[in-house]
Amino acid sequence: MSDIPQERLSLRQRLLREPLVHFMVLGGVLFGAYALQEGRRDGVEPSRRIDLTISDISQLVRVFHSQWRRDPAPEELRQLVEEKAREEILYREALALGLDKDDTIVKRRLAQKMQFLAEDVAAAHEPTIEELKTWYEANRERFAFPPRIGFRQLYFSTDRRGAKARDDAEAALAKLAGQTESASIAASLSDPSMFQDYYSDRTPEFLGKEFGPKFALAITKLASGSWQGPIESGFGWHLVYVDALIPGRVPAFEEIEPEVKQAWLAERKSQAWDKTYRDLRAKYMIFLPAPPEDAPAHESSKTEQSTPPGRKDPS
Amino acid sequence: MRNWLGSISVFSLLVSVAPALAQGNPLRDAYFGETHIHTSWSVDAWVMGNRITGPDDALKYAQGQTIKHPMGFDIKIDTPLDFIGVTDHSEYVGVTKQANTPGSYVSKLPEAQPMIMKDPNSSAEQNQVFSYLLKLAASPPVKALMDPKVTSTVWKDNVRIADENNKPGKFTAFCSYEWTSMPGQRNLHRNIFFRACEHVPDYPFSALDSKRPTDLWDWMDAQRKAGNELLAISHNANVSDGWMYPVDVDNTTGRPIDAAWAASRDRNERLIEIKQGKGQSETHPLLSPNDEFASYELYQTILGQPADSGRIDHITGSFARQALKDGIAMQDVRGYNPYKFGMAGGSDGHNTGSPYRQDNFFGLHANADGSVERRFAGVLIGGTMDVRLENPGGLTGVWAEENSRASIWDAMYRKETFGVSGPHIKVRFFGGWGYDAGVVNAGNWVQQSYEGGVPMGADLPPTPSAGKGTAPHFVVWALKDPSSANLDRVQLIKGWTQNGQSFEKIYDVAWAGDRTPDKWTGRVPAIRSTVNFDTATYTNDVGSAELKTVWTDPDFDSTQHAFYYARVLEIPTPRWTLIQAVKSGLPPPDVVPLTGQERAWTSPIWYAPSAEARKAAQAGTTVADLKDKGAAVVSEDELKALVEGKAFWLKNNVTGEQFWQSFTADGHTTVYRVGPGAEMPSGFGKVALDGYEGLTSPYKVEGGQLITFVSQDAYAYTFYKLGDAYYAARSNEFGYANYQIVPPPKFAINPLDAVVGRFADTLKLTEQQRQQALPFLKQELMQLASLKKDASLSPEQKIERLRAFSVSLDEKLKPLLDADQQASFEAVRDQLRRRLIEQVASKAAGEAEADVKSWFTRESDK
Repeated sequence: MSDIPQERLSLRQRLLREPLVHFMVLGGVLFGAYALQEGRRDGVEPSRRIDLTISDISQLVRVFHSQWRRDPAPEELRQLVEEKAREEILYREALALGLDKDDTIVKRRLAQKMQFLAEDVAAAHEPTIEELKTWYEANRERFAFPPRIGFRQLYFSTDRRGAKARDDAEAALAKLAGQTESASIAASLSDPSMFQDYYSDRTPEFLGKEFGPKFALAITKLASGSWQGPIESGFGWHLVYVDALIPGRVPAFEEIEPEVKQAWLAERKSQAWDKTYRDLRAKYMIFLPAPPEDAPAHESSKTEQSTPPGRKDPS
Repeated sequence: MRNWLGSISVFSLLVSVAPALAQGNPLRDAYFGETHIHTSWSVDAWVMGNRITGPDDALKYAQGQTIKHPMGFDIKIDTPLDFIGVTDHSEYVGVTKQANTPGSYVSKLPEAQPMIMKDPNSSAEQNQVFSYLLKLAASPPVKALMDPKVTSTVWKDNVRIADENNKPGKFTAFCSYEWTSMPGQRNLHRNIFFRACEHVPDYPFSALDSKRPTDLWDWMDAQRKAGNELLAISHNANVSDGWMYPVDVDNTTGRPIDAAWAASRDRNERLIEIKQGKGQSETHPLLSPNDEFASYELYQTILGQPADSGRIDHITGSFARQALKDGIAMQDVRGYNPYKFGMAGGSDGHNTGSPYRQDNFFGLHANADGSVERRFAGVLIGGTMDVRLENPGGLTGVWAEENSRASIWDAMYRKETFGVSGPHIKVRFFGGWGYDAGVVNAGNWVQQSYEGGVPMGADLPPTPSAGKGTAPHFVVWALKDPSSANLDRVQLIKGWTQNGQSFEKIYDVAWAGDRTPDKWTGRVPAIRSTVNFDTATYTNDVGSAELKTVWTDPDFDSTQHAFYYARVLEIPTPRWTLIQAVKSGLPPPDVVPLTGQERAWTSPIWYAPSAEARKAAQAGTTVADLKDKGAAVVSEDELKALVEGKAFWLKNNVTGEQFWQSFTADGHTTVYRVGPGAEMPSGFGKVALDGYEGLTSPYKVEGGQLITFVSQDAYAYTFYKLGDAYYAARSNEFGYANYQIVPPPKFAINPLDAVVGRFADTLKLTEQQRQQALPFLKQELMQLASLKKDASLSPEQKIERLRAFSVSLDEKLKPLLDADQQASFEAVRDQLRRRLIEQVASKAAGEAEADVKSWFTRESDK
């Protein structure tokens, strides 16, 4: 990851970096704020002071600009500054009242940041090609390409034929024995359908979506080069002529290097976080309360739980 | 404190490259995607216990890979998706990495120096850096590290994740985030989807910037102007406490809704999430009392409200169908429609991956609902969210040329979309003026449908000039999910408006099996349920794989604004609660149904009358009209005298329906003499059932108005007196005074007496002739009455029947009459026929039939 490329900086962004522009845009507000500060500077405790720097304010302008694609009007800028101060004031007052303590959301949010940061540490390292290759060799199956199938299909609708659909398909198959894929009698034996007559180069996943999982599973097992079936879809029965079957394969590393890198990174992040947490966890001990006097004896009165509680599949 | 609170709504942005729009597939394919999912990078998800998985995992899960549920077990999607937009936020991510990249901005910051490692693989150094980070994390946010220069690279990281998973032609990963505005715990959330990722802003517009939707739209307009196309999908209107679809005032600003507000909303909010894990937002039984499928996955709660707070989620203003109806009423009366949205679906899952099937429901909120015990215990998340009411996520279906960001986004923008409750049900819906009835059986029906009309989400083209008196045709086609249940039926839901009132009607248009619509209600009976309650299974022995038809609106009125959308229902299947009860041996929770019917909803197609057609509309009476005529507002005291402890008949002058309303002296009211067949406008609740059961609702006279309630929502009548007549304007009818107090109607004890009397007078019948004619007339009367209500017949068929009746009546009556009488009878008949023919030629067939009937029953009816 690099910094924002220079060519991505618009004229507006460049202008925003110009101190002169800052001065002109912010002049009014700053003057007011400064005058206010001057008047009260003496005797103001640091905890009661809200100091905004040029960079703070130009950040407000930048954020506004990225939202609205224009600079704030002086009045709007004054509001932004007031908003900023309000946020800071309420934040400080809340801290002073201890509102951050025992607040579940604050705790969880901070815990979430811990994970992000831990993962970032892991992601900071760029893997070498050798590292990736070695890892790929151990994880090849995850990257396998699915088989692809080309076929023609005839549809026997249960809407039209009810329970007879399968038998009708069987009967049609008998007539199609030895016939070619483009046999002219084929269409007359079957029902018009909402599907294509011919599908080329489709994965089982696509066929699962289009015809249902049963069909996708069955078609990969059919012999190619003749009419086969009947096989069942979510809509009825089908006779199928498979004319092309490209088996699934595991690609060479070079074909999918970016994906390997991505997967490697994801795994590394997850490992880094697990390890970080394990290390942290090892420093702590959990003490459970003593059970009431009449509790069953096998509950120890002071339990140390050294591992997180087990989780189970609820289904 | 505000910093991290704010971060809840400061969301991540992703940047990437959009492929060019495909030209090659004009008939488009259906793609299914998730438009609403949270990972551990969302603070609320983290809070609930999702600590393991991030956006990368969400994208992997969507593509079919197994990931970890926050509680540690494996989860896998049933059917992989075609696209997804992760709707998360992030901050602080990536800082360490930046610090360790030589020459980067961060690496030069003094604050970052302690993070730099000489040897990144040294564990000692890693620990050292980590301790520094701990210090950082425990103290207030480091401003230098919150700088846009840092955070924008953080977002770049997110973009990398989307880009790595975005495979044009195979799988689309969008740049998206959620705007989480929740004033007073009212859910006004929107998910924002960018068309491309190159120009996404450094910062998304968060609810910290503003909780007002109008400010969000202004920001979106500014983005669009700068070449960064984007759209919003609102969600959970059902838990917006009535604030999602206002008609008079935008509560977040306090300003009246006007044309500019409507245009801004329409420009930016192209879709709504009609269903997600926390219920559906289509409609509610109180808003749609005649919709027998409305009581489906309701989730009426105010999210995050303290459990001891007495507030209850408002129903009015919280559902899409009513908003569509209000929208066309606003269009008709005020000239603008803010609610011309299309349909989408999502999960709002907080586990990085969501379940979409009843048999795979592993919860949506990490630890809170991650085990069957917790789910069945009825845990209340955040104080009010009952886990048992949750259900699998919905999905967005789009009809797009190809699977790419640009193509799918464009489909979303033009609203060629549909929402599904979970299964990948495909549905096409087209509207036009000249579709042939057999078009759905043609091999190229999709092409013909595109050529002959418009797809879902669009406006019907203008009525062809030669097509006066014709009604629009709709092509609808639905295909089941091959791995889910068969289809029960396809319905078309119509909404229309007249004189400030809006109405809805549901038509069953295609259904499985040989069921016959009920003769009197027109409804197709419920399909047989195959659900086995002992095993929590179903079979596909009933239902269809595919349903299709061409449908014409039999009640079309070319003078009225209308919309139509299709709803597809699967056969009944067990709900997750039943499935998991059987598996676990626990009793199923009784607060939810044991079964449900999965479904799909298309975006609507709208009809707008031409200026000429609009002129021919039946004129109504507005409050302004009444005032012009010199009507005076009835004072509060007069109103109290008129109402309290009284009962009277009110007539709705738009529909002609009359009803009898009682008001007790101590503030209760009931409406009687309204049946489910009555044409009731929006906002009356379940009056038919309440009247039948004798239930009351509160009312009060206050501020010069009679205020009635549908659930807790107030509907106020203002009464006006003009001469001796009392008129009333209802607060939800856009300035029209549509009601009038009428004298109690006269009831003919025997309607036949009146008809026979009239007939005898006209033809000067003798007493003997009267007695002889009586049985024939009685038969005719009954035939006509049943004909009127027989919904299984088309208008053409009705007219045919009508002709047959009169011919047979002629044959029976003529032998009884003398020459003069026969002549008068012929004359009457001729007159009647001429009128009939004229009416058929110029007006909707249904009206003509009603008129013929009135010739016999006009007096006895009233």
